[in-house]
Amino acid sequence: MSGLATPRLRVPRIARAGEAFEVRLLMEHRMESGIRIGAPSVPRDMLASMTVAAGGETLFEARFGNGTAANPFHVFWLRLDRTADLVFTYADEQGRTASATHRVTVA
Amino acid sequence: MTALLTRRSLALGTAALLAAPSVARAQASLRLVIIGGGFGGASAARFARDTYPDVQVTLIEPRTRFVTCPYGNLVIAGKRQLPEISFGYDAVRARGVTVLHDRAAGIDAAARSVRLAGGQSLAYDRLILSPGIALRWGGIEGYDEAASELLPHAWVPGDGGQTALLRRQLEAMEDGGVVGLAIPANPFRCPPGPYERISMIASYLKRAKPRSKILALDAKEGFSKQPLFQDAWAALYPGMIEWVPGNRDGRVVKVDPRERVLETEFGTKHKVAVANVIPPQSAASIAIEAGLANAGGWVEVDPVTFEAKAAQGIHVIGDANTAPPMPKSGFIANSTSRQAVASAIALARGGQPPGNPTYFNTCYSHCGDEYGISVVNLFRPGGQGFVETPNSGGISPRGDHPEQRRLEAVYADAWYKAITDYMFGA
Amino acid sequence: MTTSRRAFLAALALAPVPFAAVAEAGALDRAIAEATGGRTPTDGGVTLSAPTVAENGGQVPVTVTVESPQDGTLHVTAIHLFATRNPTPGVASFRLTRAVAKPEVTTRIRLAEEQVVVAIAELSDGTLRRATASVRVTTGGCLS
Repeated sequence: MSGLATPRLRVPRIARAGEAFEVRLLMEHRMESGIRIGAPSVPRDMLASMTVAAGGETLFEARFGNGTAANPFHVFWLRLDRTADLVFTYADEQGRTASATHRVTVA
Repeated sequence: MTALLTRRSLALGTAALLAAPSVARAQASLRLVIIGGGFGGASAARFARDTYPDVQVTLIEPRTRFVTCPYGNLVIAGKRQLPEISFGYDAVRARGVTVLHDRAAGIDAAARSVRLAGGQSLAYDRLILSPGIALRWGGIEGYDEAASELLPHAWVPGDGGQTALLRRQLEAMEDGGVVGLAIPANPFRCPPGPYERISMIASYLKRAKPRSKILALDAKEGFSKQPLFQDAWAALYPGMIEWVPGNRDGRVVKVDPRERVLETEFGTKHKVAVANVIPPQSAASIAIEAGLANAGGWVEVDPVTFEAKAAQGIHVIGDANTAPPMPKSGFIANSTSRQAVASAIALARGGQPPGNPTYFNTCYSHCGDEYGISVVNLFRPGGQGFVETPNSGGISPRGDHPEQRRLEAVYADAWYKAITDYMFGA
Repeated sequence: MTTSRRAFLAALALAPVPFAAVAEAGALDRAIAEATGGRTPTDGGVTLSAPTVAENGGQVPVTVTVESPQDGTLHVTAIHLFATRNPTPGVASFRLTRAVAKPEVTTRIRLAEEQVVVAIAELSDGTLRRATASVRVTTGGCLS
């Protein structure tokens, strides 16, 4: 067990070839940067990145800085030519990962 | 109540200042028209009538009885009855305010007149617009006006029907059922209101249906007086209330009114026994149709006079305006109504609005029986609009203070009586 | 969270603004230079939507939209976000491929105080575009 939460997705199950569909992601994580203004820092616990891949190929990637809010939330648009299993993977700065897979059937 | 006396003496002082300039001008009666007979409008009418005996004051309000939002949560919990929070306009009339029970259909800012639904046109020298909010039907998918008959909002009381409906549904619910609430993102009317409602429903359930639960699905990540509310819930209703913030998939985006299913942003479906859906809001339609509202649906106003930035001569008070960080509350509507009326009269007479105004707000919330909490803020014009007065205000302390909680519940009742007496009392 | 935030804001109000509270001018420039390889962005051709007044500085929704066809001719390859007055300026960087159908990303960021947020978009022809948005962070009254 990685200790990370399971990513939450809102992605359609069916899409038309080449047409844009919305992807909404929510990852529960406190995103503790460790920074305290005017006080000693606390232990850091941050997600480093999120990738969306299909068939081993990365479609979209995010790298997180200290300014990304807790429980990272993202909305973007993808398009596919054929049915694919989208794999959403979050990695933290310790190298632990959490993924979720979602099949989008292209009609 | 000390605060009420302070404001009243301030108001009389202001009146004295305005009467002082000796202006030799025609003594034609100034016509002040007020749209909306709620906390803003009824307060404006009272203040205008008390302070400017020679000004003609007309109040336009479609309803013959006003049901208050404050204390509606106590009716929902069965601690008050609807007639106790309903008020007529006889005393307003008796003071010499012309009360027209009609709907304002349109405003002609250039011609300075209001068109009533009944056909009459009313000319004004200055207009106070306090129309309240509109609910954004369709803001939550599936939640339209018809849906509110199945899943009440009880956020615009109207004739009290929504409040009574939610009460009946709770009474009819079987023990062990889940009461779901959908709570919107900011801005909305009465920031602590949904959490007082949760508390009051919990108080009823604890007594009458103790195996029941409350599921609060919130579009936000935090709320007004949150630590105090959560302390109270842990102490009074342990294990009964689950609050889900927006950043843990708490935002309700869709409802199925027939099945009573609340669906959140990430597709989680919650089927509940009773659902209270508080949808996103905007200024009431008359403000929007008059072209006064911004892209977000609220009216931007001058922080000293409350004139709509979009139209001179129209002073917009109450929930319809946007005045952050001031919250949308009845207390603020009442507090700001005095400055708005005094400014309106001063400007109409060619003078200056009163300077250095202070606006007050106290948000009282009932967490249970004899358990009240509050937060006090003072505001003034500043920055890009309004700012909090530095080193002012306060909040109930956390911790075990049963006597303070009991007293604050008493103060809340006293506030409600004082403000409704001010607006509607003889 | 809310009471500690009030204490945090109160502490900032009482003390002189600590240097660490504002991203050093150098840190911001370095972060932008690192993301852009030292190239100069042009203003325009990209929109950064953010609320003018944010009720909760810890969760500010922003959307970056680039005016680009996103077809074979020209597409957005990356979007970067920076907070000019956070203790550290980096917010996020997104890498877009042709599978990304619209040159648009929405996310939630955290802002330590009122400041300007900067978005920079990289396009497939090597050009860079920039947009900024000013966000005021305030507690929404009755919120304590």
